[in-house]
Amino acid sequence: MSIFNKKEEPVTEGGHIVGNGLSKKQIRQIHMRNMNKEEIAYLKRKEAIDKVWPIARFFILFGLCFIILYPLIYMISCAFRAQEDMSDPTVMWIPRHLTLKIIKQTMNAMNFWHTLGTTLFLNIGCSLVQVVTCAITGYGFARFKFKGKNLLFGIVLMMILVPNQIIAIPQYMEFRYFLFGAFNLIDTPFTMYLPALMANGIRAGLMIFIFRQFFKGLPKELEDAAYLDGCGPFRTFIQVMIPNAASSFLTVFLFSVVWYWNDYYVSSTFFTNNSTIALMLKNLNTLLSLELFNSATVEVSPREQIIWMEAGCLLSVTPLLVMYTFLQKYFTEGIERSGLVG
Amino acid sequence: MANEKKQIKMPYEKRKALYGYGFIGLWMIGTLIWFLYPLANSLMYSFMDVRPEKGGMQGKWVGLDNYIYVFTGDANYSKYLVNVLVETLWKTPLIIIFSLFIAVILNQKFKGRTFARAVFFLPVIIATGPVYSIINGNISSSGASSAGQFSTMFSTDLMGELFQFIGLYGINENIQKMVEAVSNNIFGIVWNAGIQILIFLAALQNIPVSAKEAAQMEGATAWEYFWKITLPYVSPMILACLIFTVIDSFTSPDNAVMGRVLDMQKDWQYGYAAAMAWVYFIIVLAAVGLITVILNHFIYYEVD
Repeated sequence: MSIFNKKEEPVTEGGHIVGNGLSKKQIRQIHMRNMNKEEIAYLKRKEAIDKVWPIARFFILFGLCFIILYPLIYMISCAFRAQEDMSDPTVMWIPRHLTLKIIKQTMNAMNFWHTLGTTLFLNIGCSLVQVVTCAITGYGFARFKFKGKNLLFGIVLMMILVPNQIIAIPQYMEFRYFLFGAFNLIDTPFTMYLPALMANGIRAGLMIFIFRQFFKGLPKELEDAAYLDGCGPFRTFIQVMIPNAASSFLTVFLFSVVWYWNDYYVSSTFFTNNSTIALMLKNLNTLLSLELFNSATVEVSPREQIIWMEAGCLLSVTPLLVMYTFLQKYFTEGIERSGLVG
Repeated sequence: MANEKKQIKMPYEKRKALYGYGFIGLWMIGTLIWFLYPLANSLMYSFMDVRPEKGGMQGKWVGLDNYIYVFTGDANYSKYLVNVLVETLWKTPLIIIFSLFIAVILNQKFKGRTFARAVFFLPVIIATGPVYSIINGNISSSGASSAGQFSTMFSTDLMGELFQFIGLYGINENIQKMVEAVSNNIFGIVWNAGIQILIFLAALQNIPVSAKEAAQMEGATAWEYFWKITLPYVSPMILACLIFTVIDSFTSPDNAVMGRVLDMQKDWQYGYAAAMAWVYFIIVLAAVGLITVILNHFIYYEVD
């Protein structure tokens, strides 16, 4: 009740008076005068929190960002070091001898440019194909009613749940004796492209699920208008739905690129040689021992090997980081639009 | 009139259903070849003693022998299985709480928010790859170097350094050990929370403005706001994140059970490997099912 027991009527009556040449502090005082104890306490508490919280927030975020960036900073710091800096206790972050030697040696060991070419060919190609096929499948699940739909969608969910390790060996046998033994597809790009072409590549289940959610979220009127104009479903999909889904396509595509780039399990099943960057990196230790450490001229202590490993990491992360820097928006904002949520 | 309508409608519905099959046809064929057939095969292997031969796998039926071996003959498997389950059990809630907390912070307005967001999502693009296992210190080394050295380069006792920096030297060793354990795990948690943060952030942005305004009018504190507004609205996404986290940690090639399965495969023990993978998969499935059933009681779905 105390709110209404105003002592100084004229001041408060003027929403007009408030703000007319008065400083902010004065305005606040006028406001405060009309409040009861609880409200004032609330305001004061809020003010205090508003002042302290940003500082606390800064420290929390700064610390966590450091944890995330630490490996990257360490990678960069290591990759440009000379070998002897590793054993130099005075070197923490900034190397004493800046050199590109380590990077070059690692690139040689990884056969970097060739590997990058193969990786991109597999990666970008498969991602593109898979995004298209998964979008088509997702659309089918989102907008059409047919018998057995729930069962089939259950299979999609199974695809998300079943770990690759379960089906890898039978898949290997399929590729090894493709079409009843007529072809041996192991070590060919077909092992990646064929499943992607049929919406069954790496994490295809998740992609179908995302697209289904996304298309479900689009207004039905879009298609109804197209149907009324005599457009068939396939043409509607291409001409009406795809333009609407452009940014979602990009997001899913980017994630697909990342998944293919980082995959080493599936590719190590189907490729006997180290043909992708991820595989190279996984086996970098062995490669390096072959290239460098076995030769009599170089003596490398295990601790010093770290710099080659870190250089390898840096090399394999850089393309992704470049992509991420430029397309960050689509990674972070796209998830929302792509309908994973809701 | 109504009859006529129905007559026109029926073929249309049927045609639409056919189109539906058309859209998913490619996937159906693909799934049959690249998913269901291998899945069935793998299930079959788990009951067989198989070895690769020209033209395909050959083997003889051994019934449940493989499964019996998995539990009684292989000392490592049960140990790894328990380890992985326990780790998932305590890590998953931590990841969820952490990512929700970070999402709430990243949803506020402050300077440098774009940068902070970019940094927090960075693990998403790196953490699934072999780079993560290298920086996490678990590289499968076949060369001269052991895994130990690589772990030293990461777990260089960040917390200890921080304590020294602040000037705390002689604190209780137990406390330091505990803090170290947590700090080492912070790395794992932060690096595995990228997608979850992303999902939560999107969910937070979908909280209707009306709810926010109502809370402000009523004078809710940030604490009350979190429990009464944020949490209910985000709860469906908590389920999604939980399932995602569980699956992610169970199916990662880095975890011990998967490692054991792969080792068996390398030894040409496909029957055992398949049996192990299936036991594991069924446990994962049960876990996911259990989580879904339990959490569905607590989730708030907004009815439009």
